[in-house]
Amino acid sequence: MPPSYKLTYFDLQGLAEMCRYLFSYGGIEFEDVRIKREDWPQHKDKTPFGVLPILEHNGKVAGQSIAIARYLAKKVKLGGNNDWEDLEIDAIVDTMNDIKLKLTPMLMEQDAAKKKVVLEAAKKDIFGFYFPRLEAMVEKNKGYLVLGRLTWADFYFATIFTVCESMIGEEILAGYPNLKEVREKVNGLPAIKKWIEIRPN
Amino acid sequence: MAPAYKLSYFNFRGLAETARFLLNYGGIEFEDVRVTQEEWPQLKEKMPFGTLPVLEHDGKQAGQSIAIARYLAKQVGLAGKDDWENLEIDAIVDTINDLRLKLLAIHFEKDEEKKKTLLETAAKETIPYYITRLETIVQQNNGHLALGRLTWADFYFTTVCGAFDFFFGGDCLANSPSLKSLVQKVNELPAIKKWIEIRPKTEF
Repeated sequence: MPPSYKLTYFDLQGLAEMCRYLFSYGGIEFEDVRIKREDWPQHKDKTPFGVLPILEHNGKVAGQSIAIARYLAKKVKLGGNNDWEDLEIDAIVDTMNDIKLKLTPMLMEQDAAKKKVVLEAAKKDIFGFYFPRLEAMVEKNKGYLVLGRLTWADFYFATIFTVCESMIGEEILAGYPNLKEVREKVNGLPAIKKWIEIRPN
Repeated sequence: MAPAYKLSYFNFRGLAETARFLLNYGGIEFEDVRVTQEEWPQLKEKMPFGTLPVLEHDGKQAGQSIAIARYLAKQVGLAGKDDWENLEIDAIVDTINDLRLKLLAIHFEKDEEKKKTLLETAAKETIPYYITRLETIVQQNNGHLALGRLTWADFYFTTVCGAFDFFFGGDCLANSPSLKSLVQKVNELPAIKKWIEIRPKTEF
């Protein structure tokens, strides 16, 4: 019998990796569909809004990586225990998403010289503003981003900032030992460690 | 006794209006704090990540407009009944936010030539792409954006869609009768209608 969940994305970690982490963490079987770039035009108009990832389950489809992650987190008990706890997790995830959005122009910059200039500004204005605050939150939350325990916010951090780092081509968490530890902790979870060994990309 | 909730934002409808709609819809008393430009520099440091809006309740603070709206929706019965229903609402809200962010990025483009081209593409392709799909969804969902009934996604769309007109260079809902009808329906809910009458009148 095929898995009841099907996750479709490109053949990258990108925005889908935190969802794949959540499936793996919860031991939930899923069809890990990876669309090749050259095949994308055929598939694009079959998706609700022409973007990936999408999640299919029980004949229904939903898009949006963070929305999917929030849904999966509840299934695998990495959400909040009440509405305010969910809000605290959502707020930190959206804040990290703000960081990613601010980085996008720099990440997409093709001109190497320009990119270097924008990167130096990003280190000061973006990383320099956000990372000390996130670092302090992890200190306050006993080694996790929020609620003093493992939540999907930690999975978001571990995956998205790894992607950002690889696109930047240099270490961005130098000087932030707490944040580095969050990533190591997540990647060291047995189910995640196993996923990292077997994942295609 | 002070209201249980305090919502702080600038003196705009902006990103806080969905939360204000939800609080009014649910009949929840709240302190509607509007921070002035003069007050902001000092206050900024006290906010978790230097941004507004911030919701305060029971001695705790949380930022992020959409996260706040999702929380309030649960308090006032405008969220999903299960996790998949909430995913459907979240997905449509994030999609509308994607459009808003694309347009915002164009707004801040410094290169005038590039900006002109981006604006043309937005008006001719991007906005219609999203609006036609949203229109279809509303037609298929009994006049709503998700789940065939009123949810906070309808409030979110109603409060942000005015900004899309600016980029479209006209009424972006001109050919979308279902979306237009939805916005009207939301604005005419008794609690919302009352709020619209009494709220501070601001440009955005």
